[in-house]
Amino acid sequence: MSVDHKPHPKPTQYVQIALVLGVLTAIEVALYYTEDIVGVFTDPLLIILAVGKFVIVVGWFMHLRFENSLINKFFTGGMILALILFAIVMFERAAANFI
Amino acid sequence: MSDSHSYPHEPTGVETRKLGMWIFLSTEILFFGTLITTFMIFKGRDFPGIKLTDVYDIPFTSVSSFVLLMSSLTMVLAHNALESNDQEKTRVWLLATAMLGAVFLAGQIYEFTEFYHKGFELSSNIFSSTFYVLTGFHGLHVFIGVVLLLALWSIGQRQKGLSLDGGMNLEFVALYWHFVDIVWIVLFTVVYLI
Repeated sequence: MSVDHKPHPKPTQYVQIALVLGVLTAIEVALYYTEDIVGVFTDPLLIILAVGKFVIVVGWFMHLRFENSLINKFFTGGMILALILFAIVMFERAAANFI
Repeated sequence: MSDSHSYPHEPTGVETRKLGMWIFLSTEILFFGTLITTFMIFKGRDFPGIKLTDVYDIPFTSVSSFVLLMSSLTMVLAHNALESNDQEKTRVWLLATAMLGAVFLAGQIYEFTEFYHKGFELSSNIFSSTFYVLTGFHGLHVFIGVVLLLALWSIGQRQKGLSLDGGMNLEFVALYWHFVDIVWIVLFTVVYLI
């Protein structure tokens, strides 16, 4: 197994990361209230922001980016399976509505 | 969440307990993935009775989300303090995390109560059922997390101090807590904002 020894962030860097998360949340809320202006881009932008926050917490707070590749594979595997399930069900729902 | 040290005595090269924790979290992704998928099937459809969009309070839930995000910061600071063997700071950050979790839970209880008073009940329609099951299970996870955090804090108070080796490990509780946070990041967007 590969062994990675990237240094973990320092407390001040964790605070900076948390501030970024706070700002991203504020942007999400602002997007919700400006849906009339932003229009069709609102939902995609909200999803991108949520994915960004998710990656930051998993990568830096859970330290996944510093972890063994086996752990990465298990976590990513769970994510992929959940997304496949979601995609199949949404496809079925859309197909049912179409019929 | 300590550095990925090599474990030559483990066939995988990863500490077995840690690998087990990550596999558990992986199964939890599937659990919440199923609940979110079920919620999305019924979202946007017309059902009799009051709608979720008529009752929810985005500013209030935004503050709750911010509180939970900041609890992830205090959790990682507790872990960092323990790595530096600063027991006092570890206990302070652990308690702060538990308190922030409790504030989030109180907010969720208040929100559910408000929804009920406005007529959006568990049995109002199938969509309201999926909403309460999804957010309720998340709340249950937060509650379990708060109990684990307080148990760790209590162990730290009674014994000489916490350690990253053996027993109920702060590292695993931290992983669980951050997981609860990332689930809420998804729920906040999917349930409330979209």
